[in-house]
Amino acid sequence: MAMDPDALAKAFVQHYYTTFDTSREQLAALYQEGSMLTFEGQQVLGSQNIVHKLTTLPFQQCQHSITTVDCQPSGPAGGWLVFVSGNLQLSGEAHALKFSQMFHLIPTQQGSFYVLNDIFRLNYA
Amino acid sequence: MEEQAEMVGRAFVDHYYHLFDSNRASLSALYQPTSMLTFEGQKILGADDISSKLNNLPFEQCKHIISTIDSQPSSPTGGIVVFVSGSLQLPGEEHMLRFSQMFHLIPGAEGTFFVQNDIFRLNYG
Repeated sequence: MAMDPDALAKAFVQHYYTTFDTSREQLAALYQEGSMLTFEGQQVLGSQNIVHKLTTLPFQQCQHSITTVDCQPSGPAGGWLVFVSGNLQLSGEAHALKFSQMFHLIPTQQGSFYVLNDIFRLNYA
Repeated sequence: MEEQAEMVGRAFVDHYYHLFDSNRASLSALYQPTSMLTFEGQKILGADDISSKLNNLPFEQCKHIISTIDSQPSSPTGGIVVFVSGSLQLPGEEHMLRFSQMFHLIPGAEGTFFVQNDIFRLNYG
């Protein structure tokens, strides 16, 4: 069953950032034990630690708005690389932060995807 | 395994942008017929077409200055994802362009790596 990669990437990105912006702890479902996050240079391993990192970031509320989404198949195992750029608005801040992020998605047996690799960087002017 | 990914990522980034800035045509050796490049949203497949795209970019000279390099192992078979941010200086241009780029490196013969996936985006201010 071949899915249009761009549609897949857009669906994932929408789901990811909506979850991030509304109920961050539910991101746990998207990571597994072997998942890796590098967040502004800090390396975090495993779903539990990743969710802890993301739910203890120094802001209560945020809104991601996505500017670009690029997607490519990563190899014979059916993985996808998704490369995102966008803006992150924190409540109370006058200016949105710009960011880039990449995800490596791996298919699960249930027909969905989990995030194996996640790298996030703010883009300073 | 993470430390090795970091080492490979740094060595690759040094090599890649050095070649890009001094001998762009020789980048073709880093790609294979199955390699994919998405350059500012344009999708290109295979070493020949990728090399052609990079050689025909609308500038003779350029200099990449790298700000951040983040790497993670992408698979049990030795793949590595590398996420780069930096600036691109074009001669005659007053301001540098900021960019983000991700590479998915696959091990080849004798400790070398080739680029299976390459996604490039400029980061507009």
